[in-house]
Amino acid sequence: MTINYTRISALVFLLIFLVYSYLAGEIQVFAFDENADFNARTFPKFISYLGIVVSFLTLVLSRGEDDEPFGQFEWLKVFVLFILVFTYGIIIKSVGFFLSTNLFLLISYYYLGVRSYKVLLLCSFPVVAALQFMLHGLLDVYIRDPFLQFIGVIS
Amino acid sequence: MIEGLMIGLNTAFSGYNIIMVMMGCFAGTIIGMLPGLGPMSAIALMIPITYGFDPASAMILMAGVYYGAIFGGSTSSILINAPGVAGTVSSSFDGYPMAKNGQAGKALAIAAYASFSGGTIAALFLLVAAPQLAKVSLSFQSADYFALMCVGLLSIAAFASKGQFLKAMIMTAFGLALATVGQDSLSDITRFHFGNINLMDGISFVLLVMATFAMSEAFMIIFKKMDISFSSSDVSKEKLGSIKLSKDEVKEMVPTVGRTSVLGFLVGVLPGAGATIASFLAWGFERSIATAKEKLKFGKGSIKGLAAPETANNAACTGSFVPLLTLGIPGSGTTAVMLGALLSFGVQPGPRLYIEQPEIFWSIIISMYIGNVVLLVLNLPLIPYIARILAIPKNILVPLVLFFSVTGVYLISFNSFDIYFMAIVALISLVLRILNYPMPPLILGFILGGMLEKNLRRALLINDGSFSFMWERPISLTLFIIMIIIVLLQIYQGLQKKQN
Repeated sequence: MTINYTRISALVFLLIFLVYSYLAGEIQVFAFDENADFNARTFPKFISYLGIVVSFLTLVLSRGEDDEPFGQFEWLKVFVLFILVFTYGIIIKSVGFFLSTNLFLLISYYYLGVRSYKVLLLCSFPVVAALQFMLHGLLDVYIRDPFLQFIGVIS
Repeated sequence: MIEGLMIGLNTAFSGYNIIMVMMGCFAGTIIGMLPGLGPMSAIALMIPITYGFDPASAMILMAGVYYGAIFGGSTSSILINAPGVAGTVSSSFDGYPMAKNGQAGKALAIAAYASFSGGTIAALFLLVAAPQLAKVSLSFQSADYFALMCVGLLSIAAFASKGQFLKAMIMTAFGLALATVGQDSLSDITRFHFGNINLMDGISFVLLVMATFAMSEAFMIIFKKMDISFSSSDVSKEKLGSIKLSKDEVKEMVPTVGRTSVLGFLVGVLPGAGATIASFLAWGFERSIATAKEKLKFGKGSIKGLAAPETANNAACTGSFVPLLTLGIPGSGTTAVMLGALLSFGVQPGPRLYIEQPEIFWSIIISMYIGNVVLLVLNLPLIPYIARILAIPKNILVPLVLFFSVTGVYLISFNSFDIYFMAIVALISLVLRILNYPMPPLILGFILGGMLEKNLRRALLINDGSFSFMWERPISLTLFIIMIIIVLLQIYQGLQKKQN
């Protein structure tokens, strides 16, 4: 049996479904429901059986014909973008929607190679302002924004 | 029926909803044109915008986006041989050679007329078939619904996974497992939340769709170093040529449109088949019945070769609404996303929708027709300008897609946890997509998970815990036989592939 990416992923799924099956058995049900024909554990158990069977079959039957070598891809760029999204999530509440979104866009554009200040500014501030106006002003969706409140744009 | 139809007409033809269709078609065309971003991403990106809307308007907007995305996909297929949507791959077989021969405008016009005709004929079929099917499905019991959903899940895994049946089944099981996170609908017992308060309410459908489609697609563009932008000269007005068709060309198109719209609609109704299979089937079908002389033209700029897939994919899009509206079961990944959106509006599609909320049922059907008119009247003349969107460089597009995805999820809950969770899910989806794990079965499993559990619970409780409902009820029995056939077919195909 040769090792390929599909087999590795099938093994990961097999482990996930085994853990899922164990956790399904651990779900606390009401005492009167313990021996019922169907309780909160039943469906997850069926899913886990399905998952275990199909991931085991994939593990055994896969020949990895469609696997692509992982090394050729831009891992670092995606990871940096992932970190940027994550950071955006962290600061959005404290800094506010307007500022955090513009920061996220400006840094992302710059990181991906945009160097023109005109493009950087035109593709961030007007876009965010238009969306915020549409949500806040037209659709009445309240977005908490300490920065805009501080400078007095919104009350 | 007449009364419902009148209510639907009234709703669909209100000024507000006509604007919704126009906006949907326009936005869908732009997003669908971008290689990689298909109708699912387009609809997912629209969900947050529809929060403040009433369900009918939201669905009308999304139906417009769906059509627009398919039309946009055809445009990029024809102009630059880069299909934005899988369903329009076969349009490039004859559309791109036509464009290379200086007939891009004509090819776009054929695509638009064929899409319009296919969509219109299919909308008429839907008008007739949907209420009848809705009446029949009123006799369905829990066991039948359970069996029907299993057929839906299996067929999506079998037909929409490009030969990766086992991987698709893993994704289905994974989607079903994700659906069990949170409160059990009957006992209110929380499951698989790992002590995290944010997971006690379950995983948000919008989060999952945005992460697996829009955000992971944006990551994929960077990850695979995809060159998605084209110089504006490639899509300039001068290069398009005339969009007028001669009488002979129209004559050549008409029979093809008639045949393939029926074919497309029927394929679209089947769960899991959808626009991609319909368009390939239609192209192959037209080629097989063509004369020896015409056959030589296929793949080199044949009018029939372009009209067939274009008609069929639009007819299939309409057809895929039949199981969604009448049974509450999505027939494709895109309609699965729409089902999720409907559920988030508190609307339960199915046979009762036809009776209880006719304005939604009929207005969606009628808006499909309006959508086709909008695509023909508005989008076709605007194509040279809309096509400029293809000149947007990826380093601008990717951050914008990420921003719209994050905003869409954040606006539902105003919870930062959702953004972290979404980024993690998008990264996992990216890895799974690289390993050829299809995402539509995951979404379908996630959306149908709750309904599947509810119907299985009812069926088992009615039958005192016995699975005898599988063979005692004729509808269930038929559906389970179909399931067995699908599985056997996959095993046979797998063995054949191994032998080859």
